[in-house]
Amino acid sequence: MTDDREKIFASIRRGLRGAEKSAALRSAASPLTSMIQHGFESLFIKFKRELEILGGLAEKVENERDVSAFVTDHTEPASSLFIYDDLANSLKSIVESLSVNRRLRFGSEFAAGYDKREVAAFDAALIGCAACVAETGTVLIQTDMRLPAALAPKLFVIVERSRLIASLDEVFTDRFGNSDASNLFLITGPSRTADIEKQLVKGVHGPKEVIVLFLNQ
Amino acid sequence: MTTTEPQSRDFKKLYKKEVANLRLRANLKKATIQALDKRNDSFAELDFDLLRNEAKKIKQESVSHLNELLSQFEDNAHKNNCAVFYAESPEKANAYILDVAQRHAVKKIVKSKSMVTEELRLVPFLEKFGIETVETDLGEYIIQLAGETPSHITAPAIHKSRTEIAQLLHDKIGIELNDDPTFLTGEARKALREKFLSAEMGISGANFLIAENGTAVVVENEGNARLSTSAVKVHVIVTGIEKVIPKFSDLRIFMRLLGRSATGQKLTSYVSLIRGPRRQNEKDGPDEVHIVLLDNGRSALVGTEHQEVLHCIRCGACLNVCPVYRSIGGHAYGSVYPGPIGSLVTPLFFGPKNAPDLPFASSLCGNCTEVCPVGIGIHHQLLAMRHEIKAKTKRGVEAFIFRTFRKTMLRPQRYRLFSRLARIFSSTPIVAKAFKGWTHYRELPKLPARSFREIYKSERGKE
Repeated sequence: MTDDREKIFASIRRGLRGAEKSAALRSAASPLTSMIQHGFESLFIKFKRELEILGGLAEKVENERDVSAFVTDHTEPASSLFIYDDLANSLKSIVESLSVNRRLRFGSEFAAGYDKREVAAFDAALIGCAACVAETGTVLIQTDMRLPAALAPKLFVIVERSRLIASLDEVFTDRFGNSDASNLFLITGPSRTADIEKQLVKGVHGPKEVIVLFLNQ
Repeated sequence: MTTTEPQSRDFKKLYKKEVANLRLRANLKKATIQALDKRNDSFAELDFDLLRNEAKKIKQESVSHLNELLSQFEDNAHKNNCAVFYAESPEKANAYILDVAQRHAVKKIVKSKSMVTEELRLVPFLEKFGIETVETDLGEYIIQLAGETPSHITAPAIHKSRTEIAQLLHDKIGIELNDDPTFLTGEARKALREKFLSAEMGISGANFLIAENGTAVVVENEGNARLSTSAVKVHVIVTGIEKVIPKFSDLRIFMRLLGRSATGQKLTSYVSLIRGPRRQNEKDGPDEVHIVLLDNGRSALVGTEHQEVLHCIRCGACLNVCPVYRSIGGHAYGSVYPGPIGSLVTPLFFGPKNAPDLPFASSLCGNCTEVCPVGIGIHHQLLAMRHEIKAKTKRGVEAFIFRTFRKTMLRPQRYRLFSRLARIFSSTPIVAKAFKGWTHYRELPKLPARSFREIYKSERGKE
């Protein structure tokens, strides 16, 4: 099938021929960046406020035992939880603790081309994240398995406090722009719609609940 | 007429029907006022003008370097293992997408919201070839079930009340008759979840294309775009050539403007930054990503006085503030692009012959220009387009009247004769009949019996 590339480029060239010669493309970002340094506490207050306005929840937890207790309190007994490999590997005691009364499945149990229906059945997903943004209450995830966190009705994000950043200015930089991964998702609160008479409803296709736990480690 | 052309030639018929629909006007009023209030609140902590100026500069830079940026994006997209296809017309774009679907023996497609796919009339096109293509954005799903087209850029079912939607879902997917939005959304989730799990291909738009790293940016709230781009074997991104911007860091500006302008959110619930098919070490995501870049009249705008129309980020803010849109709704425009920006885009993309009346569907109040987050002078553009259309159309009675008026005003004797005749005839039934369209809702001003000059002359004589 032939592509119209040359025709379109010629049309643009014709249009630009008569126009004033424009300046060369910028080599650097436009100067709006504000890399203000904030302490964790002030950023956490901002993050919590922004996320909770949207119907999410953000809490500080001291250690892995607190995370397990929190997840246990916020999920039904015998419910099925999906745990991403990076989290399961780094926080082993959470896994041991939750496995007592929850059905756990791990990313490592699934190979490429796995059955989507199996993943769609989880009650909750536990995931780590690349960063959290205080300005908007946003979580950044870059993952080798996209669907569990997108399909589960409840999403727990467990993150070290050092990953909380101030603003979107720090997201759209080379740090996240030059990654080799196929995806980067910014998640800001629960999935939502106001398509019916502008009335807000949470949990349309993605998680209805988004809970972010900041771990003091 | 091809299948993708709009029905905007019928604007005069369509708006008369819609303006009489009081329920539609009530729905629109409620929804647009709420959207506008949220927008204004969300900008309270930011300097809107500063951001808008930055956005405008970036968009100007993007259009003035469009070839360079498209080439750069294409190279980087290829490095990311994406296929890139340029389509001059909707027909070419549709044919390519159909070819991709047929090569993979696709039976079912899940699609997220995209104005460009509406421009292509892509869903009916694919369905004609037996490929089930399901709209997964809740608003789009509703109007697909209703057999309608979107009536707003970001809120496609804004014209429908909850009662109408409840009845529709009851009739079409057999759910209990209940007009609670939470219930209706839950039922739609169930129905669409099954589609996501069984579809082989996903189609999305892209709000921005980043030249420097080949990223496609998809912005949404429901999570359906995230699933349409992740839970499938093949993902096709369809967007316009004007969506390319130079730098990843430019998103700092646009992400702060788009959600606020569209829905009053600081950031939409999901921003998916897609850099191609799944990598070898990734367990899901599509095996192929195709990017279709549509021209359809866009490249011809480069270097013209309408070039800034290419800056539009499709936020829909201009619709919410437009007194005409708020009275007649989106369907009256007969185009997938309604409202003030639609009145520009439709004649520019599809030719003025297909939408001769749309540039006149504006009070020129300037509200649209005031809220535009990328600084498009929408009402100035509409005025310029009116001049262009009038210059091309045959001069009839209106032109004769203005020519006569001009000649009259240039000669004092003619002016005096005209004003005397006007005073004599203004109160006669002949004039009332001639102006009956205008006087249906108004009264013609009563002219005084004597002119100022006549009064001055007679009063001066008394002294």
